[in-house]
Parts: sequence; structure tokens; C-alpha cells
Amino acid sequence: MWFYILKRVAQALPLLLGVVVFNFALIQLAPGDPVTLLVGDYPAPEEYVKQVRAEYGLDRPLAEQLVLYLGQLARGNLGYSYANRMSVAELIGKRIGPTLQLMITALVLAIIVGVSLGVIAARGRGKLPDFAAQVGALVGYSVPDFWLGQILIILFAVTLAWLPSQGMRSARSVATGFDAFLETLPYLVLPTLALSVRFIALFSRITRSAMLDILHSDFVLGARAKGLSEARVLLTHVLRNASLPIVTVIGYNVGLLIAGSALIETVFAWPGVGRLMFDSITKRDYPVMTGILLMVSCAVVLANLLTDLAYAALDPRVRYTR
Amino acid sequence: MFRPFRLIALFLLIMFAVGCASPTPEPTKAPPTAAPTLAPVATTAPAATKAPEPTKPAPTTAPTIAPTAAPKVAEPTRGGTAVVAMDSDPETLNLGLTTGYSAGDVGSKIFNGLVWLDGSYQPQPQLAEAWTISADGKTYTFKLRRDVTWHDGKPFTSADVKYTYEEILFKLHPRTRTLAARVKSIDAPDAQTIVFTLNDAYAPFMIQQTVFEAPILPKHLYDGQGDVTKNPVNLKPVGTGPFKFSEWNKGATIKLVRNDNYFEKGKPYLDAIVFQIIPQGANRSTALETGEVDFVVDFYLAKTDVPRLDKNTKLTGKRGQGAPAIDFMMFNTRTKALATPEARQAVAMAIDRKRIVDQSMNGIGRVGRGPFGDGFKWLLNPAVDFDKMYPRDVAKAKAALDKAGVTAGADGMRGKLRLLYDSARPQFVSAAQIIKENLKDIGFDVDLQAIERAVMIQKVFLDWEYDLTLQSFVSSGDPAIGYHRLYITTATKAQFTNQTGYTNPKVDDLLAKAATAPGVQARAGFYGELQTILANDLPSIVLFDEEGVDFASKKLSGTWAGIDSRDRWDLVWMPK
Repeated sequence: MWFYILKRVAQALPLLLGVVVFNFALIQLAPGDPVTLLVGDYPAPEEYVKQVRAEYGLDRPLAEQLVLYLGQLARGNLGYSYANRMSVAELIGKRIGPTLQLMITALVLAIIVGVSLGVIAARGRGKLPDFAAQVGALVGYSVPDFWLGQILIILFAVTLAWLPSQGMRSARSVATGFDAFLETLPYLVLPTLALSVRFIALFSRITRSAMLDILHSDFVLGARAKGLSEARVLLTHVLRNASLPIVTVIGYNVGLLIAGSALIETVFAWPGVGRLMFDSITKRDYPVMTGILLMVSCAVVLANLLTDLAYAALDPRVRYTR
Repeated sequence: MFRPFRLIALFLLIMFAVGCASPTPEPTKAPPTAAPTLAPVATTAPAATKAPEPTKPAPTTAPTIAPTAAPKVAEPTRGGTAVVAMDSDPETLNLGLTTGYSAGDVGSKIFNGLVWLDGSYQPQPQLAEAWTISADGKTYTFKLRRDVTWHDGKPFTSADVKYTYEEILFKLHPRTRTLAARVKSIDAPDAQTIVFTLNDAYAPFMIQQTVFEAPILPKHLYDGQGDVTKNPVNLKPVGTGPFKFSEWNKGATIKLVRNDNYFEKGKPYLDAIVFQIIPQGANRSTALETGEVDFVVDFYLAKTDVPRLDKNTKLTGKRGQGAPAIDFMMFNTRTKALATPEARQAVAMAIDRKRIVDQSMNGIGRVGRGPFGDGFKWLLNPAVDFDKMYPRDVAKAKAALDKAGVTAGADGMRGKLRLLYDSARPQFVSAAQIIKENLKDIGFDVDLQAIERAVMIQKVFLDWEYDLTLQSFVSSGDPAIGYHRLYITTATKAQFTNQTGYTNPKVDDLLAKAATAPGVQARAGFYGELQTILANDLPSIVLFDEEGVDFASKKLSGTWAGIDSRDRWDLVWMPK
């Protein structure tokens, strides 16, 4: 098992290197020059523009910049942000917490609600709960999350005044530690809802489909014949056997979840990495863009690895040795 | 077996850990404040209150402390935290390195300039308590206050001013570095005197001594500390201003707390100001409505929300605040169809600028009347009015184009024009649609290219790959600072300078004279002539003059003391 994990990590390294090189080239070749943003909104003398370009190493050939970047990456240095004038690692470190908080909450909510709806829909196939769940899933999957975010703000923050409209906690707050955590909870509700709706829809659809494939298997009939309760049959026998495709879909959607968080963080002024990415693109802050893309790539690789390991945990027939 | 409670407990534990690890460092508590002062400490009424007009000699006895535009409210009280919205993290809090709006918002409370500008653009004493200007307009002598200390307790002296100018502003400040070529020397004969000697008279010199153009920075924290742009003090600034830096939660908030040793005794009134970063305009308006923020300045306000906010009884709106700003449609005079003044005049005649103001700006703005807008009343030439010169008249525009040799083909079309603009500016997105429709009436197929700012700068200013472009420019308090660069002949490609290809030696000469002439009247004469020429040659047309709209919670008093809404927050207070 450990050997398998090490092997997968080793296999991921060339992939990550490829991602870095590809992202580096893609970002640098995109139109727009960060120096134009760095020198400000006033005419700058040519020598000053050259000075700024040299200061950030942007005057060197692209290949040389790439080699230098890879060299500093090997030493654990993600570079220096032009737009924030601080190290990229420190910058991402300051913003990763809120993103994890939002993503994990949204993922957990999406799994609990999505899988539950899928079970209910499969159980009542062709009946009202199934129809309602399917229509809900269709709508949930189709609604753009940034639009949904705005609607939630108008409804729950402005009209009903039940929840705050934006931010992570009150700007006037001086709370720290556990109090700060508690204060964050109401601020977490709307962005979590907006981010998770699409995934609730997706997970419910895949759960329903996987459950229906198994619901009429012989071993289910056998379980029922043994006199097990319907809940036990569904949760212990059917859902467990249907879980492999569900886990696969969950694992493969981590990347989409991160992408979704960029929009949601912007709509709800949530101070996470997604918004940092958005700002970095508009400011052509290459080191931050490359650093975040690397981090996202690592997250996706890790999610895939965890998905594979989850297979082994859920299905005794799957064992990873070599 | 399934263990729901364990999972829930694990989830809560993870969320707690993540929540506690979120970017909020242990907030730096505001230092203990002095016993509240119920009324501002009495200040000496300003003698010779009006500081000099830019080129006139200053009164030798300048006021000591009090600004002329103190709020007309009785009994300001101490206390409270004001929340101010902004759109993104500033790139730095060192105002000497940037003209970024959000950096200016925060930095203007931390730093001071030698002067500040009141509501009439008149310089008022700040770090300088008095100044004199030589008769030839070339020597400016500032007497500095003695009672000023930096937030770290070190005394402020003329050495700070000299260092700031020579080593930071003249090298790194996007606007003020253009002043370097005009300044022959800066001398600090004693700790409280600073003397600027210019090569030639320069009318806007005093206007450029504000905190936004020339913030004074602490020499002891920068000198000999290596690269100024990478000095960690830039992110934890130390100034002389009314508020001290407290904490910066990246992407969320920046908190400033009261400077109890501020040189204007009894001020500031607020305990703290928190800048909350809200990326979307609509959400900033919502936060204002829900009471989550107390102030949104025009730059961050979505104009579509103004009618709704106007009706909100908990808010106060303020219009017309801020230095003039104008929105242009600029031509590329290298484009064959737009190469002659006659063709450009015809295009101007096709554009319904009133409709642009009504629909793109929700009616908030004034249809542009001349090449310098209408913000500087003193320079307006009554004979120049775009509305009278180029009223919308499609038939006349078509005839003018035919006469200019820009003829229509069999399909009635005269060609394709690329219209480039920054996609992040909602007013441009809407105005571009109207322009496309208008120009179709006279036979142009307009290709709308809404592009990111970085790409727009590259294509418009550095590559000149456009036919028409929409741009917004601010004057920074004097037309010579903000607008001259749009019309002056430019040999090289540089951003935010004349990229239209327009060149006219007569205009260049008049611009130089208008910048250096002594006195407003003489300057107005040159500007009058310039307006006549530019309105005829038409390298660009002013679509509208912006009209600043700010909104503040009624919980705030004393706002809008200076010409810039971000300035003089030491006078802002929250009634109990």
C-alpha cells in the first residue's frame, strides 16, 4: 500500500513538471504585459520601463525565465508577486485557509445532500420524489453559480436580512480563535450553498444511476429475503456497492470545485485563493498565476490518489500492492 | 460501519482548524486612546486662509493648523469604527510607488503631503505650515511643522522630504516622477525648511504636493535599506498621518487605528477605519444597504445602483466630488478613414452622446463640451461647445464623409472600424453598443473589442492596433497634470499618452505655455486657443464629463472636507 502511494507520487512528479512548463508557457504567451500595469497609469520613460522589466527578470528570454523558475521551484521557492510585492508562497499561505474552509464545507454538503437525494430518487423511481429530485438536479446543474450567488444575496441578505451578504466575518470584528470561527459560520452559509448546488445535482444524478444499476441485483434480493430492513438494504448493501462510481465522480470534480470557488469567492468577497487567481490574471501577475495553478494541479493529483485509495477501502476486491 | 457522529466531529475539527488558520493574524489592538475629547481642540483661525493660486506668491503668513473646510457640524465626538469599501488589495501601501486608487484610499490616511486641497482646489497647510513662491515662480520655500512625529515616534524633518522626493517620488512615483525634469534642486537648509528650485515656472506645482501626488515617507526606514520597492515597510507603513497601520488580512480587510499623537490635536475622531475588500460593484452597494460598510466612493460605485441608493433614507449621497475626469472616444488618425479632421468631425456628428450619458451612466454625467471637459471652469472657451459644433445629424455626417473622400460602396458601407475598450468598465461596454449602432447609420461596421486592461494597454498605446478606443482620464487637479499628455506630440510609444498619431507644433507650444504661464488668466488664454484648435482637429471627442457620486452611511459626519473624498478622514466622526 505505501509502496503504491510512493509509486503514484513518483509518477505524479513528471506530470506536475509538465503542468508547470505548460502553464508557464501558456501564461507568458497570453497577450498583455505585466510591466504596463506595474509602471502605472502615466507615461513612463523607456528606461524606467526597461528597469522594471529587468527588475522582475522579464527582459530575459522565455526559456531562460523557465529554467530560472524551475530552479527556484526545486528549492521550494514559488517566486515573488509583482502585484502584491511579497513572496508567492506567503501570499498563497494567507489565502488558502478560507478556500479550504469553503471547499470542504461545500464538498461535504454536496456529498451528504447529493447522495441522500440520489438514494431517495432511486428508491422511489418513477414516483414523485424521483421526479422532483431529477428536476431539481437538472435545474441545479444548469444554474450558473455566480448568478445563483447574486440571487441568494438579494433574497437572504438584502430582502430577508437573515445572513450577511459578503466577506468572511464582520469588518468591525475583533474576535480571534474559536470566537472568530463561530463568527464565520453565518458568512459561510450563502457561498457554500451557491458553490455546492451544482455538485449536489451531479452527485444525486450519479448516485441514482449507480443505485438503479444495483437495486435489482440478486444479492439485493437475497438481502431482502433475509428480512433485512429496507434502510439497511439500501445503505449497507446497495449504496456501498454503488459507491465506486460515486467516489470516482467526487474525486474527479475536485478540480471543478476549485474553479467554481474562484467565481463564488469573487461574488461573496470571500478572501481565498480563487479570488487571488482572478486578481492575478487581471494584473498579469505571472508568478502567482503559475504558483496557484501548480497548487491546483497538486490538489487534483492528490484527489485522484485519494479516490484510488478510497476504492480499496470500499471494495475488498481492490488491493494495491505493486 | 458508518460512524456519522465521528465524521461530523472530524469535519467540525477540520473546519475549526482551517478557520483558525485563516488569514486573520492576531489583530493588533488599537493603542489605548486618550480620554475622549468631546469637541475638537480649538484651532487658530486660518490667517490668509486661501493658500496661493498655483503660480501666485503665497501669503507669507500661512495658517497654522486649521483647514478652511472644517465640517459644519457641532460637537464631533470620538470613537467608532468606519468601514470603507474598496475593490481589491492595493499592490502596496507605500503611496510613493503607486497611483493605484485603493492604495491612495488607505495611504491617504496614513501619510501626509506638504499640503492638502480644499473643496475649491486651494492648497491648505498640512506638513508645511507656510510657504512662499518667488516672483518668477521658480522657487518654492516651505516651512514645515515642528510638532510632527512618525508613527514610530521619530521626529519628522526636512531631510524626510528631500529624501522622499529625490530617492522615491522622482524615481518611482508614476505621476510625480514626471516632475523630476522640472526640478533643478531640492535643498534642506534647516530641519524645518525645504526649498524647491525649478528650471522654469510650473503652474500645477502646488497641486502636486498633496498626499496622493507626493506623500512624505520616513527616510530612516528606507535610506540604506536596499530596494525601496521591496522594503517590508511598504506593507506595514509608517507615516505621519491621522491613522496608523494595524493589520492587513489579504483579500479581506485592512485596518487602521487612530494615531493619538497626530499633530492636529484632538483629531482624528474615529477609533479605527477598516477597508473591506469587495470585488463586485453590486455587492458594494448591497453592503452599504445592509450596513456592513459605511462609505463607498464614486470609483467603486456601480452607477446602475445610484437610483436605488438615492432612495435609501439611511444613506447620504454626494455628487460632483473629486477632481475632473472625462471619458473620451479617441481616434487613430493613422486609420485612412479617420485621417482627416473632416472625417473625424463627421463621425462625431453621428454619435448620440446624450444617449450615452443617459443609458451608460444612468444620466450621471454631463455631455462633453470641449477637449478639456467642463471641470475646470476657469479655462472654458465659450465659443467651443461640441454640442453646437457637432450635433447629431446623420445626413450631414454622411455628406461630410463623402466630401472627405470616405465614400460608401454599393452596399452603403464605408468600411470596418475596430473599437477597443477595457471590458472591466461597464460604462464603456454600454457606450460601445450605442456607438456601434450610431456609426452603422453613417456606413461604418464597428467591430467591438472588449478586452482586458493589460491587453488594451498593449494594443492601444503600445501597438496602436485600433481605430477607435474608449478611454477615461483624470486631471489630478490641473489640466497640465492629466490632460496635456493626450494632445502633445509623442514620438515614442508609451502608455496613457497621446497614441492617436495627432501632432500639431502649435498645440505643443500652447500646451507648454499653458503649463508655465503665471496666473490663471494667462493660462486660460492659452487654453482657450487650444480648445479652438483641438475641437476642430478632433483627435478625440469627449463623450461625457464624469460626475462623482459617493454614498455614506448617515452614521458618518464630516466626510467630504477635501476635493478628494478619500482625503481628510481625520475630520470624520460618528455621532453617538
